[in-house]
Amino acid sequence: FYEIKMATVMDHFGLHSFPTAVPCSEVYSEEVSTGTSIMAVEYADGVIIGADSRTSSGAFVVNRVTDKLTKVTDHIYCCRSGSAADTQNIADLIKFYLSLRSVETGEPPLVKIAANLFSRRCYKKRESAIAGIICAGWDKKEGGQVFSIPLGGMCLRQPFAIGGSGSTYVYGYCDAHYRAGMSKEECIEFVKNVLSLAMSRDGSSGGVIRIASIEEGGVERFLFTGDEIPKFYQD
Amino acid sequence: MSRYDSALTVFSPDGHLFQVEYAQEAVKKGSTAVAVRGQDAVVLAVEKRALAKLQDARTVRKICSLDDHVCLAFAGLTADARVLVNKARVECQSHQLTVEDPVNVEYITRYIASVCQRYTQRSGARPFGVSFLIVGFDRGEVPRLYQTEPAGTYHEWKANATGRNAKTVREYLEKHYSSETTKSRDDVILLAIRALLEVVQSGTKTMELAVMEKGRPIQFLEPEEIGKYVQQIELAKEEEAKRKKSKKETA
Repeated sequence: FYEIKMATVMDHFGLHSFPTAVPCSEVYSEEVSTGTSIMAVEYADGVIIGADSRTSSGAFVVNRVTDKLTKVTDHIYCCRSGSAADTQNIADLIKFYLSLRSVETGEPPLVKIAANLFSRRCYKKRESAIAGIICAGWDKKEGGQVFSIPLGGMCLRQPFAIGGSGSTYVYGYCDAHYRAGMSKEECIEFVKNVLSLAMSRDGSSGGVIRIASIEEGGVERFLFTGDEIPKFYQD
Repeated sequence: MSRYDSALTVFSPDGHLFQVEYAQEAVKKGSTAVAVRGQDAVVLAVEKRALAKLQDARTVRKICSLDDHVCLAFAGLTADARVLVNKARVECQSHQLTVEDPVNVEYITRYIASVCQRYTQRSGARPFGVSFLIVGFDRGEVPRLYQTEPAGTYHEWKANATGRNAKTVREYLEKHYSSETTKSRDDVILLAIRALLEVVQSGTKTMELAVMEKGRPIQFLEPEEIGKYVQQIELAKEEEAKRKKSKKETA
């Protein structure tokens, strides 16, 4: 492997830079990213969140069983897409703020507070960070909520949200098949189907489907592998 | 003597830091706080001062939690305590962010004590006039109780008191603390209340109580619950008095 780097030379006339080919001794030729398909859906009692499990660095799959559903409080999770390092770092920081806040107020924090903390952080670091986050959870005031925080740091509440590189292939399917007022089981089927379609068309998404439901009683996790993943048109 | 007690960075000729000692005096004026460490539970009990009629009782909180598994009670200047508690809360989270582990009780005690000590060596600032009783569980398993002082020192205790009449309460605890009297959660609560009742008027409005058990978040007892324990203690005292009287009569 060779990669193009800028070499800088100071000579008699001053500082010059020029591109030059340099051998790649490191394993990773590109930044480690969660290429990804992620989504979240609201239902009556809470939210369903889901993600694929592929972390890639260029063509190399660094982790084929990644858990992209990250806990920030007992009832609030975030789905991470974009740079693995950036999103892990941001999630840790927001976990810090929410934990501090719950000690100070004596109550679990609201989902919209978590979402806005994510949004503020992503906006502040918009030049350097690559993070597309879906923040979803349950709180006593508003029940299940899904917030989408895409690349620039905007924050938008939606009945359902999709994200990551794989999401581009499934906007049509989602718009056609989403119905308001679905039950928990229907939401899980919906998420499973959407992620399966995204994973089959997006090279940066794949592996297994991880799903979690967040309700007042707590979080329940599901894992769908191999034959459990729905199959659609295969040529 | 008075020349050496205004600017902090100055020792007196006989080795005293008077500002620190005056801070101790401020602690001695504060309302009493008691802490008892049992086998599976740790208890904090504080004296509740009588409030003005229009004041909301809930806003006078002398027992604060620092994290899910650590809490404290204090005696001394409430505002100073608030500043230190805020710093400690941030430190608890910061520790967890860096090393992905919740703090040990000793670690956060050492942190608070270090902040207190810093202010005994800084010009233009006075020491914190607070003494803390910090309780919690390490790794959710091992119960701990520490006390900090304005000087910046800290020690581990099995049971202790601070604030007004702390000496009386401590003497009671020394007499009555044993592994027998601190086995169960109820045992520890009863011991803490009995110790506090040595210096506080009996009643449900005169004390605030918090219990921490292994693996469970801090529990503030409702006045009714405290009342039940107080009743239990009064009954036991009455029976003890009756028994002594009958013994005297038969003898």
